[in-house]
Amino acid sequence: MNGLEADTRVLQPLLKVEAVSKSFGGIQALYNVSFEVAAGHIYAVIGPNGAGKTTLFNVITGIYTPEEGGVFYEQQPIRGRSVHQLVRRGIARTFQNVELFDSMTVLENVLVGQHVRTRCGFWGAICRWPWVKREEQHAQQKAVELLKFVGLEDVGGHRSADLPFGWQRFLEIARALAAEPHLLLLDEPASGLNAVETEQLAALLQQIRARGVTLLLVEHDMSLTMGISDKILVLNQGKKLAEGTPREIQADDAVIDAYLGRE
Amino acid sequence: MRGLENRNSHMKYALFSLSIVLTGWWVSNPYYLQLLTFIGIYTVLALGLNMLMGYAGQISLGHAAFYGIGAYTTAIATVHWNWPPWLGLLLALGLTAVIAFLIALPMLKLTGYYLGMGTLGFGMIFYILFREWTGFTGGTSGLVGIPPLSIGALTLDTGSGYFYLVWGIVVVCFVICERIVNSRVGRALRAIHDSERAAAAMGVDTSRLKVWVFVLSAVFASLAGFLYAHLVTFISPDSFDFIVSIRIVTMVVIGGMASIWGSLLGASVLTFLPDWLHVFSDYEMVVYGLILMVVMIFLPQGFTRGMLDIYERARSRYSRPSTSPQG
Repeated sequence: MNGLEADTRVLQPLLKVEAVSKSFGGIQALYNVSFEVAAGHIYAVIGPNGAGKTTLFNVITGIYTPEEGGVFYEQQPIRGRSVHQLVRRGIARTFQNVELFDSMTVLENVLVGQHVRTRCGFWGAICRWPWVKREEQHAQQKAVELLKFVGLEDVGGHRSADLPFGWQRFLEIARALAAEPHLLLLDEPASGLNAVETEQLAALLQQIRARGVTLLLVEHDMSLTMGISDKILVLNQGKKLAEGTPREIQADDAVIDAYLGRE
Repeated sequence: MRGLENRNSHMKYALFSLSIVLTGWWVSNPYYLQLLTFIGIYTVLALGLNMLMGYAGQISLGHAAFYGIGAYTTAIATVHWNWPPWLGLLLALGLTAVIAFLIALPMLKLTGYYLGMGTLGFGMIFYILFREWTGFTGGTSGLVGIPPLSIGALTLDTGSGYFYLVWGIVVVCFVICERIVNSRVGRALRAIHDSERAAAAMGVDTSRLKVWVFVLSAVFASLAGFLYAHLVTFISPDSFDFIVSIRIVTMVVIGGMASIWGSLLGASVLTFLPDWLHVFSDYEMVVYGLILMVVMIFLPQGFTRGMLDIYERARSRYSRPSTSPQG
């Protein structure tokens, strides 16, 4: 525990959420939520349905603007940045309900993921300069590598809509990784997965962390987060209920009362 | 794999060009030659709209406006100012690009039905402009005396000369579109169509890209308008009214959304169909509408995509993905 604290003091946090509040009409979705995600960590936000997880996610990705407080990525506020600018700066995400490009092949999905790391425009495409061909070739190679990384290299030519749901989740992660993110945000990555796939996901997330990517996951399912997270934040009714290592969270009375104890 | 793909596409275009040359050489009836030339012009129109509608998923019910701007610009430049036609072409394309850009900025913030209504609106505005700006456009009586095109000493007023010019341009447009579709921008466009939210999350600047594909699409329409004006040498507002916009949309839909070759098919069907439907005389529009409905019900993706889907489904039944992720 001491080692962890020393760590975060030396390294500036990659993501800092500072006293964020957000309400919709009369409903307070988030109230004064603060936390920091250290570079290289797997950080999980958990909470029951309606706890404000998705709102928090949308605040971090710049879709919602909080009424109070702010979100800082690499020491810079994300307020006023459009979503695509944030991707360029290294924040990639996946969706709760998997949003792939269904008319495209698996490989093409990953190629779109590289959008911010490539630069061919209309003229480049029409003229097909040598650098465009090189860029395209390089992008294809990288896409194949990423598919290999998530174990989908054999289905690169299939349409993504034809994949079973579990594979679509892995594809979505490969697509997000193609943007070469520093911070990867995963919105309920285990939902809809069976037990075997959830284990595969846990292993994959750890491999992703080993590549130097920081992960922030919002999860409903405790089993995944307890095993792999460095730190967990528990939200309840828009408020921060507890924060700590998985072990601390499991021992926390408030958490047990509000969340774990219900089972 | 890439090399093979390239060779395939070269082969395809070689065959396509060959069939154009053979057709031009074989068809001597000037009426059919002109009909075929019209198909080429409509193909350019449909192709442009297909980039916007089929690939990027943004509807335009006012594309006749850009078709008209292309035609009127070159007509005014050549008739009123005695410009050479090719300079008229540059002006037409440039002016269209600027107008399309200015329209797209506010317009493409709309989506779905609202975008449809918005584009319908500007189509109407331009139609009224063509009709009422009498000093410039000749009003309802139109503009007469548009000079034919010529390349060097060669005047392209005979049926086959113009036929080759138009279809040469069609081939070039095909290559341009195919290259765009299979590139980084093309994938981004298709991504917008599939899920705008996910496209943005991948870092695609969706609003900017939509504006540019709108401009591209308008420039294609303008090019078609230019070719039309110098072919018929007389233009009037009725060639650019609402019905024409709808006809272009229909070409895209019938031929197949997101299908480059489908544009050719759609343009052909919609040019030949009225010709054949003359048999039904008064009921022409009824049969026409019926065909549209049947296509929409049974092949909602259009002919080409629909056929491809049937083929792919049959094929993939025998080669389902069978390996599991993570080894």
